[in-house]
Amino acid sequence: MPDSGRSPLGRLWRRFPVLLIARRNLTRTRARSVLAMLGIVIGVIAIAALGVFGATLQASITGSIGDIGNQVVVSPATDEGVEYLTERDVREIARVSGDAAVVPVRQNVTTVAVRGETARVTVYGMASPGDAYEATSGRIPDTLRSGCLVGADLAERLDIETGDSILVGGQTYRVNAILESQQQFSIIDPGSAVVLPPRDVPGEGYSQVVVTAESGQAANDSAVAIREALNDREERVSIFELGDIVAQIGEAFSAVNLFLVGIGSISLLVAGVSILNVMLMSTIERREEIGVLRAVGYQRLDVLRIMLAEALLLGAIGGAIGTVLSLLGGVLINQLLLGDPMAAFTPTNLGYVFTALGFGVATSLVSGLYPAWKAANERPVDALRK
Amino acid sequence: MAGTGDRVTGSGPVIEARDVVKRYETEAETILALAGVSVAVEPGEFVAVMGPSGSGKSTLLNVLGLLDEPTEGAVYLDGEDTSTLTERQRTLARKRTIGFIFQNFYLIPTLSARENVEIPRLLDHDQGSAERAAELLTRVGLGDRLDHTPGELSGGQKQRVAIARSLVNDPRVLLADEPTGNLDRETGRSVLGQFQEICNEGVAVIAVTHDLQVTDHADRTITLVDGRLSSDEPRVVSTGTAGEPDGTTPNGDDATDHAG
Repeated sequence: MPDSGRSPLGRLWRRFPVLLIARRNLTRTRARSVLAMLGIVIGVIAIAALGVFGATLQASITGSIGDIGNQVVVSPATDEGVEYLTERDVREIARVSGDAAVVPVRQNVTTVAVRGETARVTVYGMASPGDAYEATSGRIPDTLRSGCLVGADLAERLDIETGDSILVGGQTYRVNAILESQQQFSIIDPGSAVVLPPRDVPGEGYSQVVVTAESGQAANDSAVAIREALNDREERVSIFELGDIVAQIGEAFSAVNLFLVGIGSISLLVAGVSILNVMLMSTIERREEIGVLRAVGYQRLDVLRIMLAEALLLGAIGGAIGTVLSLLGGVLINQLLLGDPMAAFTPTNLGYVFTALGFGVATSLVSGLYPAWKAANERPVDALRK
Repeated sequence: MAGTGDRVTGSGPVIEARDVVKRYETEAETILALAGVSVAVEPGEFVAVMGPSGSGKSTLLNVLGLLDEPTEGAVYLDGEDTSTLTERQRTLARKRTIGFIFQNFYLIPTLSARENVEIPRLLDHDQGSAERAAELLTRVGLGDRLDHTPGELSGGQKQRVAIARSLVNDPRVLLADEPTGNLDRETGRSVLGQFQEICNEGVAVIAVTHDLQVTDHADRTITLVDGRLSSDEPRVVSTGTAGEPDGTTPNGDDATDHAG
């Protein structure tokens, strides 16, 4: 395509003649320029993709935890010698927690036997498991007085269905419902456990109380209220807020991400060295031409600008390709991990991508600096000496 | 071409070297490339510089073209001393006053003929420069080759592109280093014809050469031997006469003082 002044691109080159010369120079050794550009592409992708990948992973994990950020788990303060939570504690928790669902849990380990197969499983005693969990089949009674509930994972393992009779700790129970496994991270996951009426689980008092509030903020308020009410005079309970954990995991991921991006920048450094090499070769090969430019009246600064424009073009084109590929990769990763391709375009991700682009272009410019300086400072008479 | 020498009168030399000495210091020795050379060239004059290899011809051309600085003496452009100019001013003076033509043409292979001619003005954002380049190429007979790259042109065509390039800034002096060195005789003749046309417009042409054909077209020929002028005789322009034999020094006379 000839650069006539008529096409828009032609006008652009006319407007920035330095870029025209630079671009033509790059096309002269096409393979070399493409390889140098490839270095920048890879560098930009390394930074952007690692950043986006990390951020997406973080979003995926905190997303699943985030849903249960509205849960507060109250446990006896075992360090202070409190073995279990009493009925009175539960009433107190329910009183200060307002509208939140309060599910006291007694936990133990027992043997389950069905059709000759046995397994050691966790057993939870809950009066109203329906407040906190869902059934995949059968119905969870409002108050669990007889019969049992089996977690979905355990049911699958032992081939248990609603209506079956199973032996739990030597006693026969009818299975009322199969409980859905918790998709999210949780302290109490009934998925691979058996839920019995509280009085059927051996032990005193309750091992945990799960408070499920409307929102993360409400959960936080409940936690504060519970702490005030029960830990006022002595340390009686320890309170586990999932919201805190979410924040901590977020911080940890940010640190890991920064580390990944740091590793990615090494590849950009390598790309910079490759551009330095290409540009240096180019200045040596074109020594006489640069000498002629100087002879016909190009100032040293003009030569510097031409050489830097070459480096800039390498960096900008390589960076642009890398950016597009990174965004495509981000869309793919988000589709796979979050099921939402558009989630790739969060401010954080775009931040990573454009930082990578910026670093790519900057690396090229810095790498071009020395060759450009060298070319600009050669005396034309030396360059033209035969 | 006849009479170009006497057409220009009175205005004084456009470019002048006064007692120029150029020494190169190397670790082992000091090389005396120019041992006190004085040359003055009038507007419209075509001067051939001859001499054996190593006689200082190219050094003289570089010094006259403000590409190199003399160790002693000075170069005057339009009577102005250039030795006090900064690098930037020297570059600007080259751009405004001097056109260069090289034996190896030194066209930029990725640019079209037209763009190569435009090169000296390309950074000036001058709307008219493309047109002017086309005009100059037409004038040197390449009006139909505007968008050809140097790779698609013959040696003679390349040199004509280079001539067009050297003229794009309306120089007052054209410095040519072996302009016919890479051309066959016929092509060389046509290039020299171009030089004479340029001289007729008042541009001084100084050509360093080994080629006797160049001296035939020149108004006068000066010969350098060991960094000194060995003759600086005005030549009556004629055809068919061979120039001075290359590298001989007919008499022992030293650098002729041409200043003033």
